[in-house]
Amino acid sequence: MYQYNADDTAFLVERVDQFEKQLNRHLAGDLDAAKFRSLRLRNGLYMEIHAHMLRVAIPYGVLNTEQLRALADVADKYDRGFGHFTTRQNIQYNWIELPEIANLLRDLSSVGLHAIQTSGKAMRNITADPFSGLTHDEVEDARPYCELIRRWFNIHPEFSWLPGKFKIAINGAKLDETALQIHDLGLKFVRNEANELGFAVYVGGGLGAAPMVAPEITPFVAIEDIISYLESVFRVYNLKGRRDNIKRLRIKFMVREHGAAEFGRMVDEDWQYGKNDPELKLNMGELEALKADFALPVAPLDLGDFEDTLDFNYSIWKKNNVRAHKLPGYSVVNISLTQLGTAPGDATSDQMRMIADLADKYSHSELRTTKRQNLVFPYVRQDQVYALWQELEKSDLASPHNGTLAHVVACPGGDYCDLAKAVSIPIAQQVQQRFDDMDKLYDIGPININISGCENSCAHHHISDIGLLGLKKKEEEFYQITLAGETLNETAIGRKLGRSIAGSEVVDAIEDIVNIYLDNREEGENFVDVFKRIGIAPFKEKVYG
Amino acid sequence: MVEDSEVIRVIDSQGNTVELVSVEEWIADIDNFSDSGKGVLVKPADDVGLLQSSLDRIVLIALDFVGFDEGRGYSQAALIRKRWGYKGEIRGINAHLDQLQFMLRSGVNTYELQEQYQGSNEHDYTHGFSICYQVAANNADMKQKF
Repeated sequence: MYQYNADDTAFLVERVDQFEKQLNRHLAGDLDAAKFRSLRLRNGLYMEIHAHMLRVAIPYGVLNTEQLRALADVADKYDRGFGHFTTRQNIQYNWIELPEIANLLRDLSSVGLHAIQTSGKAMRNITADPFSGLTHDEVEDARPYCELIRRWFNIHPEFSWLPGKFKIAINGAKLDETALQIHDLGLKFVRNEANELGFAVYVGGGLGAAPMVAPEITPFVAIEDIISYLESVFRVYNLKGRRDNIKRLRIKFMVREHGAAEFGRMVDEDWQYGKNDPELKLNMGELEALKADFALPVAPLDLGDFEDTLDFNYSIWKKNNVRAHKLPGYSVVNISLTQLGTAPGDATSDQMRMIADLADKYSHSELRTTKRQNLVFPYVRQDQVYALWQELEKSDLASPHNGTLAHVVACPGGDYCDLAKAVSIPIAQQVQQRFDDMDKLYDIGPININISGCENSCAHHHISDIGLLGLKKKEEEFYQITLAGETLNETAIGRKLGRSIAGSEVVDAIEDIVNIYLDNREEGENFVDVFKRIGIAPFKEKVYG
Repeated sequence: MVEDSEVIRVIDSQGNTVELVSVEEWIADIDNFSDSGKGVLVKPADDVGLLQSSLDRIVLIALDFVGFDEGRGYSQAALIRKRWGYKGEIRGINAHLDQLQFMLRSGVNTYELQEQYQGSNEHDYTHGFSICYQVAANNADMKQKF
């Protein structure tokens, strides 16, 4: 992976120094709350219910063990000993004291980590397929391109004060693990008729109160032209995006109002200048250098007639947590941070250090983070997976629930977040308690459940098999259920089941939905298949009937 | 910047008083204005494309950065300076301290800070970053990493 050089580190320190000055001006009363809000969000700092939350980027989800240990040290030194891995390849700390933030960020800068543009009206952390470089049918490994695009739009002088936040995802794989089309901008690697590599560009996706699947605005931009094309998208949005209505700031509203074709035409019109500007061509020499940095640290391995250990619990864990690797002899291992009885995505500092030790031992000191709030070991020898599982078991990190109903994705919700309308974590725990029988979970098979505490949709409930959205009605917490959202093969927003359901009854409703699914499932079908075949009516009837 | 009910004037970097007219006024009466050394005051919602063909006749362009989160001025500056090659003075008015380096890199070359920032250390914010990762209208004194 790419390691920050002296210039990159110096840049991070300059940003910390600047942020410290802004913070000190605010604390001295020389910078009002509204301006400080805009400035602090650009550096990932939120003022929350109990304390201050800091969001730290894990760029395109790639982390080395030195960085993970630094994140653990931050959790101990500045927080209460844990961090929350989010759905967008970030980590959040919930108990930060304002005067300590600059020191915290200086600690992180020494390992190439930062909070730059993790919030606010600027380009956010770029997310990528967590299995980039590991899948056999991948068109291209997204990571070097993510790094180049991340750098270019890092403290960009022209595009740092956009109408709204701007999230980018890049996917090079056949299956979409990034939820590309719910991003403000999605780049999908494609090859044109001449077999040249480029990107199909999707603009205007988003969740929230007005979920939208991003339309394709151009089927092909050559890789060397991607910087100039993105500059044109940013410029059109910056100059003509809506700034008049706080509920219409995202680019999806602009794309919807103009239509995808007209929006694409506006971008093309601007791009006529930039596409021929040699200064805006992607630096192909740097791209090659980055490809070398991101080269896989392992080579194909002949394990002969290796046969894996037969063990019932191991085999269940392996079925849900281990994926095929493009290189013979290797596996990709998911470590679920969604343990029974703990908040989804939370990891203690001890767990982080334990995982770092194991990644040093079994995975060439590298990890990935996923939108399902897992940590991934990308390079585990197949003949060492069993030994890894045994060590994970000892540390209570071998949750076999990945991809099952007990693997709930949830935001911090009303327990921590100032924006939340309802709690998320307690509902997640109730679901886990209701479905804690491994035989039953095994029978139900892969199914996603995501719980967001408000319309900001941090837990991506719109694109889950079963999505829950927290609402408040007369001080009572209710949940709106949506069904059959998906992103892996195609992107679809979940359908609303009906009126919202009280928190005390929502787990019963989930069980009803699961039972209708099981009663109707035919050989080889998943939840979305069944939903498409039988429609929403049987689910409605069971839940409300 | 001096503003009364009728006209807005700025003192340019050479010490001359320049009267500003709006983009609409400039377009409507371009020949008269361009002979009398007027500048143009551009508001965030204005279309700077209207000025492109007559840029060489404008003595000074003032861009208004009054809203803290209002980012259109940066693109306006970049278009005027970098894309269309305007050689005259681009003045950032109603400027905010924390945004000075963003403005200057986008093509603004002189600025008037809002009153609330009087006595601030401007250098911290005009030169806060010594390293940059992208092409811009003005990367002077910066180490360019791209």
